[in-house]
Amino acid sequence: MISIVIATFLTATVEWVEAYTIILAVALTIGWRRSVQAAGAALLALAALTAIGSFLLTRIADLAILQLIVGVFLTLFGVRWLGKAVARGAGLKKLHDEDAEFAALRASEKLNDARAAWLIAFNGMLLEGLEVWLIVVALGVQTHHSLAAASAALTALLMVAALGGMLRRPLAKVPENAIKFIVGAATLSFGTYWVLAALGYRWPLGDFTLAALFGFYVLGGLALIRLYASEKLNRHAT
Amino acid sequence: MHGFIKTLFGDRRTFIVAVSSIIIAYATLHSPATAFAGVILPLCLLAGAAYLARY
Repeated sequence: MISIVIATFLTATVEWVEAYTIILAVALTIGWRRSVQAAGAALLALAALTAIGSFLLTRIADLAILQLIVGVFLTLFGVRWLGKAVARGAGLKKLHDEDAEFAALRASEKLNDARAAWLIAFNGMLLEGLEVWLIVVALGVQTHHSLAAASAALTALLMVAALGGMLRRPLAKVPENAIKFIVGAATLSFGTYWVLAALGYRWPLGDFTLAALFGFYVLGGLALIRLYASEKLNRHAT
Repeated sequence: MHGFIKTLFGDRRTFIVAVSSIIIAYATLHSPATAFAGVILPLCLLAGAAYLARY
């Protein structure tokens, strides 16, 4: 259960930090009350989606089908996050910069319209929260720890909200790429494990396989970062 | 709706990488090399992540 809680907490932290940047930029234009209202409405929508998603998945009686569905979605999520984190870690892609995002949003003319600004806060929170929703529903239902996963996401939300409330500026110091790398490797491990188990494969190490897969993806990802970074250096040198 | 679909399935390249890896693993699982499916899938997915990072 602890791995589910950690993976959910880390995913949620990254996403809530990104959402907070949007809420903050909107709040400085239309005020905190309306900006937080928009975020609250998005959170309600996410809570409803979580309830619907969990309900639909728990209706699936065949464990193999449930494992396959959850495994495929976690694989899609994990491979995307790991790929992005490797690209950013190797310098092939710019690191996500909350300060720059905040500045760009503040400069946007859309914020001058109060209604459009409210929608930006709502959509920002909803879109960032969808990835949290996916992890909470997929990991929670598959492992029967939905409450623990939802609590981890909520704890991350409260932590980011408290930090944001104190600092009143983008939380640019959060090591987003390192977190994405770890979460990408972890979700890809869960996805790999469940997809093959659903297809009838018997993992020789049983549950210890998850730790082995996680180690494989972390070491493989680090090797890729090193390889791509050195290739980039060589290209610049020639 | 677009954001919802993108969160679930990723972009086209991510989808192709994940689905083709799973198809290869499935084919391995139903071949004489069944035991290697547990190695093939992680290798394919890591190669897919490498491709997504690079391009």
